This record gives sequence, C-alpha cells and structure tokens, in this order.
Amino acid sequence: MSSVPQKELVTGVERYPLDAEVPNVVEKLFSLRNQCTECNVCEVACSLVHSPDGTVNPQYARLKINHAPAKPSKVSPGGLGFVADICHHCGNPPPCAEVCPTDAFYYDPKTKAAVIEQDNCIQCMECVPGCPFDTVFVAPSGELLKCDLCGGDPVCVKACAARPEMLNEGKQYVRLPVLFYAEQADFNKEHKQVPEMGDEVGMMQAMLEAGKISSPA
Amino acid sequence: MITVHANFHSHFKELASTGEASFQIETPTVEALAESICEAYGPKMEAMLIDPDTHELNERGTMFVDAKGMRISMGDQLSDGDTITFLVGIAGG
Amino acid sequence: MESRLLRVDLTTGKMRSEVIPHSVFERWIGGSGINNWIMWEHFLTHDINCDPRGPDNIFVFGVGPLAGTGAGSGIKGRITFKSPCYNMFGDSAGGGKFPYMLRFTAFEYIAITGKSPKPVYLHICNDEVSLVDASHLWGRDTLETHTMLREELGTYPSHAHTLSISQAGENQVGIASVVSDALRIHARCGGGAVMGSKNLKAIAVQGNGGLKIQMPEEMLAWSDDFRQKIDENEAVYGFKRRGTLGAVEMYQHIGSHFWRNNQGNMFRGGEITSDNWVKKYHKYSEVCSSDCFIACDAKYKIDGTESEAAKKYIGETFRRPEYLTTGSAAGALDVRDWSEVAHWGKITNDYGIDNQDLSCAISFLMELKQRDLISDSDVAELFDREQSLRWGNMDDIEFCVESIVFQKNLFGKIFGDGPYLGAIRYSELKGQNFMKYATYGKGGASFTEEMRPFPTWMNNMAVASRGADHLKGIGLIEKFQRKDLSKIYFDGRTEAADLSVPTLKGASTALIENQVALLNSYGVCLFHWMLDPAGYTPQDYYGKAYAAATGIDRTPDELMLDGARICNLEKAFNSRIGMRREHDTVCERWMWEPTDEGMYPGSVAAEMFNPVLDEYYEWRGWDKDSGLQTRKSLEDVGLGDVADVLENEGSLA
Repeated sequence: MSSVPQKELVTGVERYPLDAEVPNVVEKLFSLRNQCTECNVCEVACSLVHSPDGTVNPQYARLKINHAPAKPSKVSPGGLGFVADICHHCGNPPPCAEVCPTDAFYYDPKTKAAVIEQDNCIQCMECVPGCPFDTVFVAPSGELLKCDLCGGDPVCVKACAARPEMLNEGKQYVRLPVLFYAEQADFNKEHKQVPEMGDEVGMMQAMLEAGKISSPA
Repeated sequence: MITVHANFHSHFKELASTGEASFQIETPTVEALAESICEAYGPKMEAMLIDPDTHELNERGTMFVDAKGMRISMGDQLSDGDTITFLVGIAGG
Repeated sequence: MESRLLRVDLTTGKMRSEVIPHSVFERWIGGSGINNWIMWEHFLTHDINCDPRGPDNIFVFGVGPLAGTGAGSGIKGRITFKSPCYNMFGDSAGGGKFPYMLRFTAFEYIAITGKSPKPVYLHICNDEVSLVDASHLWGRDTLETHTMLREELGTYPSHAHTLSISQAGENQVGIASVVSDALRIHARCGGGAVMGSKNLKAIAVQGNGGLKIQMPEEMLAWSDDFRQKIDENEAVYGFKRRGTLGAVEMYQHIGSHFWRNNQGNMFRGGEITSDNWVKKYHKYSEVCSSDCFIACDAKYKIDGTESEAAKKYIGETFRRPEYLTTGSAAGALDVRDWSEVAHWGKITNDYGIDNQDLSCAISFLMELKQRDLISDSDVAELFDREQSLRWGNMDDIEFCVESIVFQKNLFGKIFGDGPYLGAIRYSELKGQNFMKYATYGKGGASFTEEMRPFPTWMNNMAVASRGADHLKGIGLIEKFQRKDLSKIYFDGRTEAADLSVPTLKGASTALIENQVALLNSYGVCLFHWMLDPAGYTPQDYYGKAYAAATGIDRTPDELMLDGARICNLEKAFNSRIGMRREHDTVCERWMWEPTDEGMYPGSVAAEMFNPVLDEYYEWRGWDKDSGLQTRKSLEDVGLGDVADVLENEGSLA
C-alpha cells in the first residue's frame, strides 16, 4: 500500500485475462543520447503532473536523466553526454508486469501503456530489477513509479528543452526534442519482443544518416 | 538599380552560409534589400530578419547596422555601394 | 508561500531553522530580495563597518521561488555579503544544479555568520544539518573539492551538490569567488574570501523532499506558453549555439571590446575576432543549468589539432567560453588563441576567481610595462623573480594568476583585491601616480567591455549597487539601439535608443534595475528575458508564473514597485557605509580618454556622465547633490523603517 498516493494519468483501466494477447503500445517515447542537456525540466514536469498536491520532486518522476552514461554510441563514441532514461514501453505484457506477483498492472485503453495499480501493489520491488532498462523507480515514499505516457499526451516531451537544429518546414521547426513521442519504427515488430538497448541507438543513427534528424554539432 | 553589400556574422553567417553577399535592388530601400535576402536564404533567415507581426525588421536579439554603426530600419533609404552588417544582438555575460 | 532559513553561527557551531513567512515574500519577493533583507537585518545588530573578512560579516545564500518549478527560465542562486574587495554591498548569481538541489532540502535560504575555529563544510541533508571537518579538502581547488565531496557523500538521498572555494578563497584573496558544482561560478565581489575568512570550505546539499507549487495547473500552462514563445523566437537558436559568444563579432564590428586594458576596443589576431571556432572544436555534449528551456552551454574537448597552442591542452575539457571569459582573456590580456581562452576559463573556474578583476589587475601591470613606466627590476621585485609580462602570453598570465591565488609574492598581495586597490597600493609603493591606467567603476570593480560610447552602460558602471556592473540595469535599449523598446518603456519616445544624447539613459538604468531586481528575486536567469524584453516582461508576463508558484498575485505596477523596493534597500546599505554621489564614478580612462577606434571614435564618459547621473537620481527620487535617498523616495516604496535607520545615521537626504 503506498503512503503517498501519486496521480496516475490514464484514460481508463483495462485488464486482460492471463493468456490473452495484449496489444502493444504504438506511440512511445524515445530519448536521444548526447542531445540531452540535463536541464531537468522533464523530471520536474513529470513529478508535478503526477503529484496530488502540486509538489515538484524529481525523485517522483517516472524518468531520470542519466548523469554519466558511459555508453559509447556512434553519435557519441566517447560515451559522454547525458541521456534521459525512459520507459521503453516494451511489447505487452512488458517484463515489469510479467514478474509482478500480484494484480498490480493494468493498461491504459487509449495508449496501451502498462500502468502500476498502486492500491494493489505490495511494493515487493520485483519489477525494479525486472525492467531491462532500469526505468521502474522507487520513490522516497517506497511507491513504485512507472511511466504511464500521461494518457497519451506526455508532459516530458512537451517540457524537453533541447532544441537541436532540425529540419525546417516554413518558419516553424519540426520539433523533435530529445524526448519524442512517435510511432515505433522498426524494432519491437513482434509483440512481446523486448528491444535490445543497442537497437535504439542504431535506430537513432539510421535516422541521422537518413537526414530525418540532425546531429547537435 | 543599385548594388548594396551585406555582411553576415555569427548566426546570420550560418543562415546565409556566407560572410558576405551583394544584392542588386530596384528600390533603394532597406525593405527591398530585406526582401532580396529573404528570397536568397529562405524561411529561417526570414524568421530572424522580419518580425512576423509588424513586418518591421526584427529587433529581438539582432543588430543591423550601417557603415556608421547606426541601426537601420525597414523604411531607410540606401545608396549605391552601401554596406549593411547583420549581427547578433547579445550582451556579454 | 513559506520557506525555511538555516542560520549558522560558525563560531559556536550552533545552527537553527527559521520560518520565512508569507509576509516576507510579499514584501521581498524571494531570492535576491530576501537575501538583501536578511543582510540588512543582520547589520542592524552588527557593525556595518566591520571588516568583511571578520566574523561579523554575513554570508547569505538564497534561491528564489520560480527556480526549479518547471518555469523553464533557468535557475540562479544568489550569494549576498559585504564585499571584501569593494567594501560595499556585494552579491553574485550562479546557476547550475546547486540551487536546484537546495530546493529539495528543507531550506532555501542559508545565513552564515561567525568564524569556525577549524576548516569545515556545511552539510545539509534534507532537514539534517552538520558542520563537518574539511581538513582533507583544505588546499584543494574547486574541481577537486567538488569531486571529493560528491564521492564521499554518496547518492542517498540524492547526489550531493556543492558550493566551494579554492585556495584563493582560503587565502582570503579579495576577488575570490564561490563555485557551484565545479560548473558555475558566483564570481563577483569576493564571496570566496568571505567563506574563506570563516574557515568555511564548502556547502554540500542532498535532498529528496519536494517544493510546493501553489497553483500547479497555472504553472504548467504558463510553462507551456513560455516554451512556445521561446520556440518561436529565432534568436534563441543562435543563442543556444553560442551562448554569449554571439557578442564577439558584434562587439568587434562596433568596437565594444576591451583590448589590452582598454587601450583599444577591438580584438586583434584573426581567429579570435570570430566565433567560428564553435564548428571546429569537438563538442561532445550540450549542457544546461536546471529548469531552463534554452540550454546555452556545451562541453568541448581539445584534441590538439585545433591550433599550435592547443597542443598544450590536449584532452582538456572545457565549457564553451562566455563573452566575459573571452573579454577578460582575448580583450584585457590580448590572448589570441581560442584554446588558450578556454584554458583561461578553466583555470579561473577551478581556482574560483573573478576573471574581470583578475584580468584587469594583470593588464594594468602589463600596460605599465608596455609603456616603460616600470622596469624589469620593478617587475622582479613584485614577483620575487625575473618575470616577463607579455601581452597574450599564457605562461606569463598563468604565473600572475597563481601569484594571486596562492598569494605567492608582492604582486599577489598588492593586487588580490583587484586593479583599483592594486593601483592605489602600487602607486604608494613606488611614489608615483599610476591611477590613470587602472580601469574600474563604482567601488573599484572592473569590467572588460568598452564603455565610453555607451552612456547607459557607463551609468551602470557608476551606480550599480554591487560596484561597476553591467547586469543590474543592463543597457539593452541603448547598445542595440532598440527604438522599439524605448517606445514601450518611455511612452513612444526614442531617445533611450539614441547613443548621441544623454536623455532617457539614467531613466533606462532605473527602470531596468527594477525589472532585473524582480528576475533576481524570482531566482531565474536574465537571458531569457533579454532575448525578448518586451515579450517576457518580469512585472507582467513573469508575474503570472510568480503568482502560480507562490499564490502572490500582483499587478505589473505593484511588481515594479516591489523591484524598486529591492533596489532601494541595496542602495540604503551602501548609504549606511558612507557612499555618496562622489562614489558613483568611473576611472579616468573612461571619463577623460577618448576612444580612438571602433564605430564611435572620440567617445568619453565626461560628455554625458553628469546629466545621465542626474536623470538616474531623478527617476529614483534621490537627492542629486548627495546621491542619497529622501524620506519620500523610501516611503513611496514602503521603506519608512529604512528611512528611520538612515536618518539616525545622517545618511538620508
């Protein structure tokens, strides 16, 4: 039982029987390494919209800026630079839900995001190591925090401060901030497949090479 | 028809991909020069150069000066051979 | 809106927590405003004429109520204290992460007095506070100190963020600064010396608490709107890529740099006159202070191929130099290589020392040498060894820096408080008058930009409450000839944008000081506002964000009055110390020596100085002869109690 009831932002509650096929999340978050500037606004905004009483606390955010991601990538061969650690909304049911020993996950009917049911959650914390991306977080109150995609209008994407030079259409920039919310491209094609961490970087690289996004330099 | 020269610095230089260019304009006004520049370098340059609401030269974060270091306005007259310099208007910090 | 102040008495080691009630926010807004009030109150019961390096001085840190709220206008913590190098009101802003993290502890304001018997650091962990032995940190620079503290304090309840001083602060060098997180610097006025004089090596904070927003829906909506506005402002993109380096080419063109101690106003030397290096150097990350929608900073690494000089600094990482890092190196000291400018930036940050006063102290001496006013043996006497003083030579420059930081020699001792006191002391020592080669404004503070063609900027140099300063009343309208802004600020009049007349220059300083005071009290960065001063007004537009965060709803007129009140308290502090009109002045070079290059040759301050100063006092409602506040001017901003104090001491007009 959680002691501080955070607000989940969902359009409803949908549950599926044990062996049923659960539709995948279609539009999900992506974060670009090396374009994150560690402005923290995504953490601030996420915590604020989920707070029942107007409190900003980055330790209640469902994403975290990774301060020292020593993960080399083609974009950043030195492995330096920040990246937002976000929920990857894996193929449903996601690994976090699969390891859950109780009925503490449900799905948002609109986005199909897996969401933690705080009232049923016994805070066993199996989902924390269960997540292949380490993006189920433990709040100071002990509550488990997982991205709910804000019911389809993720506030972190809107809050993102990075303004990489982008393709320009007319006067308005095509906004592709560090966190962007887009249709899944070519990984996670089959439901229940967990994306490899490398795939995401490869996908970013492919988009770079195809000129769909540009590098920050 | 007169010829005027434009020097581009910093962000303007990036938008124009060059540090200097010359323009032949029919009407000897800053407005005509601004139009030619927008035509030559596209919407990003236009966004930096022209205020979309007032259609005056955009003064936010910019500094456009004549040879005497005076800021120019849309309605100013130009003479053959004049040089206008396009600078970023940021104060030190 | 309520907040907590941590009071620390380093002499006894006693600490206590005080509530800062809503009524204080209503009077002082937050941030700067509250810091000023804390210091004012302190010096009602302590001697304001105390030695700033003594136990009676106070060191205040505060972070304003818009900081970290998702407003996206950046974040600035503020330190406030009596300045040891200028002997007057002192304050300095710094961004980064430290003020952000402080908001997640139980405290948002810290007031430190006394002197610890041994070096300590203050550790704030949520609501637990302790003074910890810092002997293992003493003698280390700010980067080392931060790294060590970060490691030893672990990651629970959060990573540690720090405010620290280097050996310069430990040695109580007057121009020593305070560095936050080895990332940002509270450079001006000598806060580092105050901490050092108290044996306070650092403040470290960790927290996993929250900060309260009074009206969250409104805050999120304002934030959304602000982001859109920033997004639509094309100038933001340029600013993101260059930070304030965008000023380099602009200043080069009009002649607004400070070359070789302001003997000229344009940089020399090819590459240094352009900001094109941003494409050549290897950027590996963009960086940001917390809660900012712009992100104007970036991290670079030198690989040695950039230039000959770069080979000395292979592997060094640095943050993109800002304008003043450049102005102090390429300007005052005539450094001509960007990797050397980057190196200068790094050492002044790691050594936690103000690059303005530091560079002007060195350039003062270099000019004396250049003009053969001093001999090689004079120089050897200062440095205790043979020493060359070559313009732009990083070896010579670095030795000068170390001389001051480590107080190695006579040069270090004489010039540790900046060029003004340095010039006075050196003139006395040599029995000659070298004052005309010292560059400074009010209080003896220096600034590495050309002032002479710009009457508003010059006025700022003469009146700013913390000594010569460009930020408090920044002359945006004038330097960029913004007729559009002049019309908005002054009912359709354009003279504020006209460099050739004194009209509306002092007025401009006065009005903008009120606005900047608001931003400094909100706890946000000034640069967002600067990118569209008419669009994002502190008193109207930002006022709504302030209301959402604090529940304090003010009209724009009321907020301008609040800003004026904050400025008047700073002024009152200086009046108590004995400052009058004659202290609102600038150095000889700025006042009397005309510029001979740039777009506005033949400019001097003298032409317009007095009419502009008169107008500034008029707009403030202060007495023109003495420069002092009148009772009416104070009561008009709700400071009758301050008028009483000043009257008792003969500092009221």
